[in-house]
Amino acid sequence: MVERKPKIVGFCCERHGMDAVVLSARSGKQYDASVRVVQVPCAGRVDGIHLLKAFEDGADAVFVLGCLEKNCYYDTGSIEGRKRVDYVKQMLMEAGIEKERIEMFNAASSNVWMFPEIASKMVEVARKLGPIGRGEKP
Amino acid sequence: MKAKVQVVLCKCCTEMPALLNMERLEKLAADANNVVSVMTVDAICEGKDLASVISDAKQKEIDRAVVFACHKKDISPAIIKAYRRAGVNEFLVELVNMREEVVLPHVNEPERAQSKAETKMRAALARSVMLAPLEKHTEEMKTRNVVIVGAGVAGQAAAHEAAKAGVHTILLEKTGKSLKAPGIIMTHGQLVGASGYGGNFQLRIKAGEKMEDLGAAAVIIATGGGWTTLKGPLAKAVKDAVPLYKFYEQMQTGSVPKGPVVVVDTPDPAGKNLKVQDYAWDDTLETTIELKKRHPEIQVFVVFQEMRAFGLSELAYKEAAELGISFVRYDRAGAPKVDPKNPSALTVMDFSQGELLNIKFGTLVFASIPPNEDNKAIAEALRIPMSVDGAIRRGSIQRWPVITPRPGVFVCGSALFPKSRDVAKVEGAAAGTMAGEFVKRGRIEFGGIVAQVTPEKCSACLTCVRTCPYEAPFIGTASKAEIRLQACQGCGICVGICPTKAIELHNYTDDQITEELSTLLRGDF
Repeated sequence: MVERKPKIVGFCCERHGMDAVVLSARSGKQYDASVRVVQVPCAGRVDGIHLLKAFEDGADAVFVLGCLEKNCYYDTGSIEGRKRVDYVKQMLMEAGIEKERIEMFNAASSNVWMFPEIASKMVEVARKLGPIGRGEKP
Repeated sequence: MKAKVQVVLCKCCTEMPALLNMERLEKLAADANNVVSVMTVDAICEGKDLASVISDAKQKEIDRAVVFACHKKDISPAIIKAYRRAGVNEFLVELVNMREEVVLPHVNEPERAQSKAETKMRAALARSVMLAPLEKHTEEMKTRNVVIVGAGVAGQAAAHEAAKAGVHTILLEKTGKSLKAPGIIMTHGQLVGASGYGGNFQLRIKAGEKMEDLGAAAVIIATGGGWTTLKGPLAKAVKDAVPLYKFYEQMQTGSVPKGPVVVVDTPDPAGKNLKVQDYAWDDTLETTIELKKRHPEIQVFVVFQEMRAFGLSELAYKEAAELGISFVRYDRAGAPKVDPKNPSALTVMDFSQGELLNIKFGTLVFASIPPNEDNKAIAEALRIPMSVDGAIRRGSIQRWPVITPRPGVFVCGSALFPKSRDVAKVEGAAAGTMAGEFVKRGRIEFGGIVAQVTPEKCSACLTCVRTCPYEAPFIGTASKAEIRLQACQGCGICVGICPTKAIELHNYTDDQITEELSTLLRGDF
């Protein structure tokens, strides 16, 4: 049996988030190809509907990557993003979906190791939990 | 009208063909709807290749372009400028980072990388046709005033640098001290209110007894630190402790301090919260070194919990150690104490050596510059964030060391945290240069990727007004939210938080993001 490829979506903010992605690539770091990066201007732009739509379209795990909370380019953007993610976590739990499937991360643009770490963490979550709705629950 | 898309594939010299099958990508692009031209170039960052791309764009009269190359921030200025010359709206040029998102991180998996690249291309093409052409607007600055709040070391340095750019500098000095600096000096002047945005501020200034309105293009905050006295148990035991700045002034006048001298890092070593202002900053090093150089016979002790010295100030450690200054580090449990019965001996637990030290002193100096009490009023007036310790917060330590998150407002000196005179002077000069350059342009540019309100959907709930870090949304005359375009920075925080989905961000609308997302998820890799 061929191993199923997980689908992971990462909403990365255009500022520190995207810079962390680019810098990790430029320093030769490798990560799983199943991560799909969607660029947004700021983590605060990510809306509940985008996160839920990602799950609806078949993503196994979703993450949001923003600036460090005390050093955010748009001041409060990554804090707003975290609020949004926590809200969606609540909704997922109500729908009976594991809340580990969605996570918020913060990175500084110089954190080379950060993005591959996030990617491998989310891939692990997706592998462990499998596709949505096919868990061990009755 | 049908969109005419030009697709440009950059080989990034040889990096792309080494991993990806360029023919398949080209074919995919050529087969897509709306695509009128597909070009493969060696390196779009080279003038020759860019020129050929632009001439092709002119010839085929394309109206939007998708460029697959490397990091947007590296290449976008040149490419966007070139496309603008060819008559293509700059917001219709989509730059996709194929190199750092697909090629470099997946060099060991060519097949998956190829599939990912193809999916990314589909997503970019789908997004490209949904983009809207946007306009940028300019507004003339009404004045060329740079208002500097505080005329200390940093403020004066800022005034000198800003004046070099040919702008009017106005210094507000809280006290009545006379000083020499370029521009107008308003003694007993305080900033009490402000409205407007970077480029066109309307400031309310209290000058002596009367209030004045002043237009300003930029504001520099150089309020410096505040004043304090010794606190806690130490204050009860020692009556004649000297603050560091006063000690420095006394030393300048030539008075010889009674030795040995003990410099404590904070006015309240046993206090509960250790603020950033309570660390021993490089002003401590600067003063003690000068003291030791003037009077080598005096014994000097620096008692501290945390020591911070920036950049080349680190060398001051070495210098201080060579001069014979003793450093004693303590932690909260072994905070320095003075027995009221014997008020000339300090007991402190040396944290590094685990030894109880008993230091006899002639002068006790404390080295804290607390946050200025005026910071709160200024931050509220200009609507800029403060740090948890009560200082002004800068935008980003790495990118904007002297700029606040609000455009047109600059900050320098001890308004951020305590620092030596040299560092304050350099920071003041930096802030002055930035403000001078900002005002010299004479106009502000705004528009482009900004938020827009659909009035029919808006219920005037004020959520956006409260959330926006730049105060861009306001409730207009029609009792609906409106966006002050000059202030909008295009972050989209209000868009995500709007409960009625009445706001949208140009070129990052819900439709565009979800379309890109769905296309990316349709691919199998």
